[in-house]
Amino acid sequence: MRKLSYLFMMLSALCFAMPAFAQGGTGSETNWIAITAGFSMAIASAVCGLAQGKAVAAATESLARNPAARPGIQFALILGLVLIESLALYTLAIIFLKVK
Amino acid sequence: MISNRMEFDNTHSADPASPASVSEDNFYSGATARIPRFMIGLGLILAAIGWWRFGVSPALGFLAGSVIAFLNFHWLKSGVTGLADRVTNAGKAQSGKGTVARFLLRYVLMGAAAYGILTSFPASLGGLFVGLFLPIGAIACEATYEAYVALVRKN
Repeated sequence: MRKLSYLFMMLSALCFAMPAFAQGGTGSETNWIAITAGFSMAIASAVCGLAQGKAVAAATESLARNPAARPGIQFALILGLVLIESLALYTLAIIFLKVK
Repeated sequence: MISNRMEFDNTHSADPASPASVSEDNFYSGATARIPRFMIGLGLILAAIGWWRFGVSPALGFLAGSVIAFLNFHWLKSGVTGLADRVTNAGKAQSGKGTVARFLLRYVLMGAAAYGILTSFPASLGGLFVGLFLPIGAIACEATYEAYVALVRKN
């Protein structure tokens, strides 16, 4: 088990092996737009996932407390999840527009 | 002070069993059924406009995005209904794995469609993204409709 965890740690460290440090031709520039796009998508996905988790947790708690209010809570949850997902889609669309 | 506030609340609370309140509840709970209809109508109208204004490729991309958005919304709705059934012990109990699988399958479908269109028809990618925002347009239509009905009821 420990060997497996060491293997995964090594593989994850290799993911960060930067080709920028390798010997290469002159004039290679870092593509900051692509890096920024990756970070922005990661942040957007993480925050949207967090927000969806909070929304679902609150809705299930409300449903468990008051099952009679199910139609309203269910509608609000669907609406909220759609709007939260659209925020991640906005980020994706902007990335596709900016990164060619 | 507290008793006064309670009296105030009691005098201003509407009777939940009154016919007006029941009809309002029915109207607002029907929004989940109206939004897919708005999506279909809006998708067809915007696809026709896109075909006329931008050509075939973006219009087909928009239609593909609209279909994905419609399926996404449908599966989201069924997933939330299954979750609510499980929490309230109502309806037929669906397995938790099935609900979660449906939630995750939506993202797989969206990613696969976007990748397929990106690799085969790059010209229709913009249309696909606009199509993915169809639920937002449908929700805006629903909000406008509800505001209109509220104004008509008030007058």
